[in-house]
This record gives sequence, structure tokens and C-alpha cells, in this order.
Amino acid sequence: MRNLALQLLIRLAIAAGGSALTAVVGHAQSAPAAPTAAATAPAQPPQGGIRFEQTTPVAGGKWTGKRLADGQPDIAGDWSNTVGNHNNFIDPQGGIPNDPQDRGRPVKPRERRAPSRVSDPPDGQLPYLPWARAKQQEFQDGFFNNTRPEYVEPLARCAPAGIPKSFYWHGYEIRQYPGYVVFLFNSGSRIIYLDNHRHLPANISLWQGDSRGHWEGNTLVVDVGNLNAKARLGRTGDFTTENVHVVERYIFDNGNKRYDYVATFTDPTAFSRPFTVTIPARRWTVDDEPNGWHYEVPLANNPGKERIGDHLERICVENNGGFGRVATSAKK
Amino acid sequence: MNKRRVVSSGLHRPVRRTCGRFDLGRLVLLIGLLVFSPVFSQSAQPTPAKIPRVPGGKPDFSGIWQTTSAADYDLEPHSGRKDAPPGAGVVEGNVIPYTPQALEQKKKNFDSRTEDDPRLKCWTLGTPRGIYYPEPFQIFQRPQDLTVFFEFGDSVRTIHTDGTLHPVDQDQEFWLGDSRGHWEGDTLVVDVTDFNDQTWLSRAGDFHDEALHVVERWTLLDANTIDYKATIEDPKIFSKPWNLEVYLYRHREPNFQLIENYCYTLDYDKYYPVPKE
Repeated sequence: MRNLALQLLIRLAIAAGGSALTAVVGHAQSAPAAPTAAATAPAQPPQGGIRFEQTTPVAGGKWTGKRLADGQPDIAGDWSNTVGNHNNFIDPQGGIPNDPQDRGRPVKPRERRAPSRVSDPPDGQLPYLPWARAKQQEFQDGFFNNTRPEYVEPLARCAPAGIPKSFYWHGYEIRQYPGYVVFLFNSGSRIIYLDNHRHLPANISLWQGDSRGHWEGNTLVVDVGNLNAKARLGRTGDFTTENVHVVERYIFDNGNKRYDYVATFTDPTAFSRPFTVTIPARRWTVDDEPNGWHYEVPLANNPGKERIGDHLERICVENNGGFGRVATSAKK
Repeated sequence: MNKRRVVSSGLHRPVRRTCGRFDLGRLVLLIGLLVFSPVFSQSAQPTPAKIPRVPGGKPDFSGIWQTTSAADYDLEPHSGRKDAPPGAGVVEGNVIPYTPQALEQKKKNFDSRTEDDPRLKCWTLGTPRGIYYPEPFQIFQRPQDLTVFFEFGDSVRTIHTDGTLHPVDQDQEFWLGDSRGHWEGDTLVVDVTDFNDQTWLSRAGDFHDEALHVVERWTLLDANTIDYKATIEDPKIFSKPWNLEVYLYRHREPNFQLIENYCYTLDYDKYYPVPKE
């Protein structure tokens, strides 16, 4: 495979924690590191960078927008997180702690940076039990000093980004069908079953969990069981355990350009109380410039006809697949 | 819930190739009936199978499918062996027309199959192998595309049916190829190009390189059976294009679902979330 070496280099760069911040500018992985990510003015219109785009929370309520034939709100399409990336879970613009190269080092004071992804407890901290806090610190300290296998974040090994990291790890696509909502992430995918069946037997554990959902007005409510909890929450060592249970609420704005992901995590093995994660997202369309982070969707080859976004294969298997396919192919 | 509208299709069962004395006798009998009994001859026509259709009338391939064939073990006719059940083969003409040089490589692959088959690393199976691999896949269908969601590796293939062409850049080397489909009557015809050379076509070491070109023909024979045909072309490996055909059966067990199988993570599974002491 001709491109193996190039893709391996890209993967290594990402594993080292560098390239996500390079995605601040348009053509993500071909751009040099941009350490001033956090300095980007929030008021500027989004141009494909990883910045803090301040939005007002989307309220739950009635859905007044378009519906699919089976009655589901029609929210299919391309979406991406609007706040930072996966580097730092509780301080999304705070960079990765202990980064020897200081990439993404915050230049603004904490109160002017994006809020923690933890919206409850109100202090934005994860309510770890003492043993779990010690483990998180160990994983965080080991992130740039991979002396043990568990210090390598699974995503860098091509594992699925899991829950909730999938929602701030590149843009993703939602496809809808009678009875299903399907997520196609940059690394991994998810089928949400809109039925009332019980979860899979408890001895089956999964990277993306077993997802049973239903619609309440403008809100897709999903109960996630069977999580193996192997995916990390960020590059800050944050983790959950196999006993985690997640209830997700995807609250879609009736304008169909925004939604808030609000998920409650309950994991008494590692945390003293449940916590809530909030991740605002926005829609991307063919009117947006493709870029290597939020919207890896080039225009389809459709000469003289409608402009259609082309969703190409995105496979990361042992470093051999298209990792940010648009960016890698653009580099050829 | 996935409600399917089932209407009469007008689709006729495929004509079976028949040979031998017994079938000849049946043919003579049938001709006799046709000639001498015009009323009866009408009822002797095959009953059109009812197939599910989406609103608008196209066949509806939605569902979870799997082959029962031994194709993945070996595409050509083979006796049973320790690592494969016997199979009559799924290749038209029985023999894959390798070039002499490629045949040597295929033999080497066969000899090292227990180590070198990419499936053992859980790499994406490719096209058409993913279709006849013995693990289920689910088809989700919209007017503009069909999503083929494989349980093995959780890999996802999109068959675009929106009239778009293969990308201008024909050098992206996809694992599953770039799939553009169109309808010919009730058959979905899919042109698949731009592959990498990392996948095998079977556990027996059948292989291809980047020049692989696959044309698939998907036809519902009845509500629960797909006739899947593929023409395989790769001028560097095969002396001429060749055809394979398998049937795919719908999983109808109550509550049957795909269970994610990111098997390439198993080697490091034990280190997460917290290493097992």
C-alpha cells in the first residue's frame, strides 16, 4: 500500500498528541502546529477550526421541523462539536497537561476559556473516588511517557473513540431509518435501536455500548448499556469503568442547525455521584468548506448536477486505513 | 419498527440451468402441456415472488443478511479439510482464471493461510469478501444510498445510488472500494473500484491487487433471499474477468441484531479501562 508510510506518520503524530491542534486551520493534518488555538476569538464565525463557539443551550420541547416518513424528526446529516477537541476533558482549551512541546498551551485565563465538558457537578470536575482519581492522574502523567501499555490511549491504536469521546473527535454523520438512528464516526460507528427491547445480556460488553433510544419531541433519548468503558474520555487520563451506565439526550434545535448532547454517567465504582456531560454540536453542509477535522466530506463527482457531499470510507485498522481521509488524500 | 411494504413484484424466479435426462424429460412434458393445454400452461408459469419494496417501488434490501455457503473458506470446489467444510464452489466454471504468475502466489498464500490471511488480523474484509464472510451484515436503505454495516470489524460500506460517479481521484485505495450503484429493473448493479491490495478474497489465499474492479448484481429472489453475483476483474492477477454467485439469507430470529465486533482491539483489550492485575 503506497500510502502506508505517510498514514503511519500521521497516526504517530496524532498519537503524540500533536495533530489535533493543527486542525485549527482549514486543512488539518497538512498544517503546521498552531499553538494559539485557544486564542482564537470566539466571536468569529466557524471556519472549520477547533475553537470555542459560544452557543446558547438548546431547550427540550416540541419538534416543529421536518419529519421522516416514520415520524422521526429528520436530523440526518453531518455534525461536529463546537468546543475544543478531545485533548482535555474538563478544560477543552487547556491543552494536554505535561505536554513537553506545550502545544495548545492556554493563553487566556481559565474563565475566558471554554467551560468544562462536565456541566454537573457545577464545579466542572469529575467526582472521582480516591482510587480512581489516583488512576486518572497516573494515566494523565503517562500520556507523554508511555512506559506501560495502558498509558497509550486506545484511540491511538485505532480503537473506537467510544462514549462520549466520539462526539468531540472529528465530525461525524447521522443516518436515519425506520427504527434506527445510525452514527458513523471518524473512528467507530453506532446503531441506536428505536425499540423497547432490553439491553443485550450483561456479559456482553462493547466499545460503543448497546443503545436503545426513543424520541421525546425534539429530543432523542438513548439508554446505553453493555459498555466496556475501554475508551478514554480525553487525553487527560479520564476514564470510567465497566459498571458505567449512560443516559444520553440529544436535544435538537428546531432550526436543525444545532443540537446539544447532554449525557448523564452513573458509575459508582469510580465516582462518588453521577455526572453530566454537555457537548454542543452544529450541522455542516456542502455550503461549508471541507476540512480535515469537522467536515471530511468532499463534493461528490456529479458534474453539472446537484452539489452532494461524498461520504467516503473511513477505516482505521492497525494504521492502515484512511485516517482523516480527506486530509490524507489531499496530501497525495 | 421496520415495517416493510410487501407487494407483488412481477419478479420471476431465475431460470435454473438444467441438464441430464431427467430434466429433459420434464422439459418435454412441459412443452407438451404448453402445446396441448393452453389453460393449464398459464398456471404452470412460476409464481412471481413477493419481495419487499420501499415507497416508490424499488426493492427493499433492508435487513440483516448472511451467507450459508462455504465461499469464504474456498471459492473453488474443494473437499473438506481440517480448516474448511467442503464446498461445491461459487465460481462460474469452477476455476478462478489466475495468470500463471499469480497462481504461484495464490498457492503460496494457501500454504501460509493460517498465518497470512488478513482476516486473522481483523482487517476489513474488502469487497466482495465481506458479503460472503460467515458473519452477519445489515443493510440500511435510503433512496440516495445503501449502507452495508458489517458486524466483523464494525466496518461500514456505502453504496451510493444518487447518480454520483466514482471520485475523480481514483487513487485513494479504499479497503472496501468506492461503490456507485444503479437500478436495472429490480436488480441493484454496483460498480466498485479503487481498492487497496491488502485484502484477500477467501481464506484459501485468493487475492487481488489495486487494479481490482468488481461489478455486483443484487437481486431479491423472495422476501428473505438475495441472489448476489459479482464479476471480478483484475488484469494483473486474472487472465479474464470471472463470476461468482452466492445466496444471502435474511436473519429472522426474534430480536436478532448485530453485535459490534471490533476484533482488532482484542490484542490490547486487557489493558483497559484499568489493566487486569
